[in-house]
Amino acid sequence: MQTNSIAINVENVTQRFRVFKERPDSIRALFAKFFRHEIQVQDFDAVKDVSFHVGQGEMVGIVGRNGSGKSTLLKMVAGVYQPTTGRVTVNGTIAPMIELGAGFHMELTGRENILVNGLLLGYSKREMREREQTIIDFAEIGDFINAPVKQYSSGMYMRLAFAVAIEVDPDILLVDEILSVGDMAFQEKCFERLRRFRAAKKTILFVTHNPSDIEEYCDRAILLDHGHLLLDGKPHEVIETYKAISGAVGHPHEALEPAITS
Amino acid sequence: MIDLFRDTFRYRELIWELALKELKIRYKRSFLGFLWALLNPLLQMIVLALVFSTVMRIPIPHYAVFLISVLLPWTFFAQSLSYAADSIVGNADLIKKVRVPKVVFPVAALTSNMINFLLSLISLVLIVLVLRHPFYWTWFYLPIPLLALTLFTLGATFFFAALNVYYRDVTHILQILLQIWFYVTPIIYPIEIFGKYQWLLKLNPVIFALNGFRMGVYAGHLPSGQSVLASFVCGLVALVVGYALFRKNQDQFVYYV
Repeated sequence: MQTNSIAINVENVTQRFRVFKERPDSIRALFAKFFRHEIQVQDFDAVKDVSFHVGQGEMVGIVGRNGSGKSTLLKMVAGVYQPTTGRVTVNGTIAPMIELGAGFHMELTGRENILVNGLLLGYSKREMREREQTIIDFAEIGDFINAPVKQYSSGMYMRLAFAVAIEVDPDILLVDEILSVGDMAFQEKCFERLRRFRAAKKTILFVTHNPSDIEEYCDRAILLDHGHLLLDGKPHEVIETYKAISGAVGHPHEALEPAITS
Repeated sequence: MIDLFRDTFRYRELIWELALKELKIRYKRSFLGFLWALLNPLLQMIVLALVFSTVMRIPIPHYAVFLISVLLPWTFFAQSLSYAADSIVGNADLIKKVRVPKVVFPVAALTSNMINFLLSLISLVLIVLVLRHPFYWTWFYLPIPLLALTLFTLGATFFFAALNVYYRDVTHILQILLQIWFYVTPIIYPIEIFGKYQWLLKLNPVIFALNGFRMGVYAGHLPSGQSVLASFVCGLVALVVGYALFRKNQDQFVYYV
């Protein structure tokens, strides 16, 4: 750990969803069910009693199988969800967005989207005007910046989204699948930018499905399974365990094979 | 209530950009663009004025001015409501991915319709000029009923936007409600035709603010103090009730959109 001051502190958080077995989404269905006492609800904890902290300047990856609660956890850190119990404390400015390009509107131009996205993240118009050129340069959008985003290739779209997220320069960056942006050259540029971001003692918390990203870039990793925190430790340990549980449940035959041959 | 003003102030730039975005999208790819904000009421008015003054023969001088002075603020009210009722559900993608105060969405929907309304006033001026209806000094009074109407609209907006999160039937019910509401409000007819049953119409909470517009533009004198007071009481009650419902539920929206 590079520093002892804490950027994100997650204490015993639980996120409970009330799942209607068959959610009435019209008044008619509600009445019908209400009078026949048919509304069945079930509580489901997407994240159960999870605690961890992220130090300032750390890059921490969250891994886990589908439905393990990774995104839910990220949403709680961002403040999109309020934890049902427990507490999330964040020190420093945070870009409260869990997906790159969330809030981009297809009909607006790249330039207009930069502004709206920045305002959504809580920055002022003046701050965004100052950063605009840096964002455009970084994203390598060129003249397309004045064209509606719907005309962008998916690579351009993601480049612009990444550029906005990183160039608004929050203290803490949260991202779902950050490292799948653009072509090889651009990815290299992103990593370079992330290194500079971290050199400035900034914190990154991200969710990924790609174990090599974790091993290559993270100081630490967290493994979630069925909403529980299974492991919080060195990247390679976490990856080993992740591979083990993924193999064991996802592909039972593969998991069995080594046991038979050895 | 204080947090409503605080959030609105803090996010004023976002609200403004979202409102502009809505207008840009509404008029995008249309050849006449923002001119539609003028043409819409103008054309609508011409149709209604023709029907009522020549076909139905309503004996009201300068019927077009009589009508449009109330029709425009009504349209502002009704359209804000239709847009805003869908504002939370319509921004589901955003709400699920970015932490942002939920009030910005209904407020932005209202703001874009306010801009539209102010543009449409140009067509009102044109009609007054063409019909040689006098320009009364009471035009200066119009910001007062507009404020009362805005308070009421904002309250109704919060109310329906919140309900619509839980039950999507609300948008459909609202459309029918607005149609009925249009006809029980003295917009195309004068309140006097109800004779001694006028009190019945006065149960309608938007009538007082709308009355201010007709008085100011068409009649050229100020509404009674009672009527002005009533317009603000209705506006404030709507805002307090609507916002209370919205505020109490806003943290839950993300789970239902």
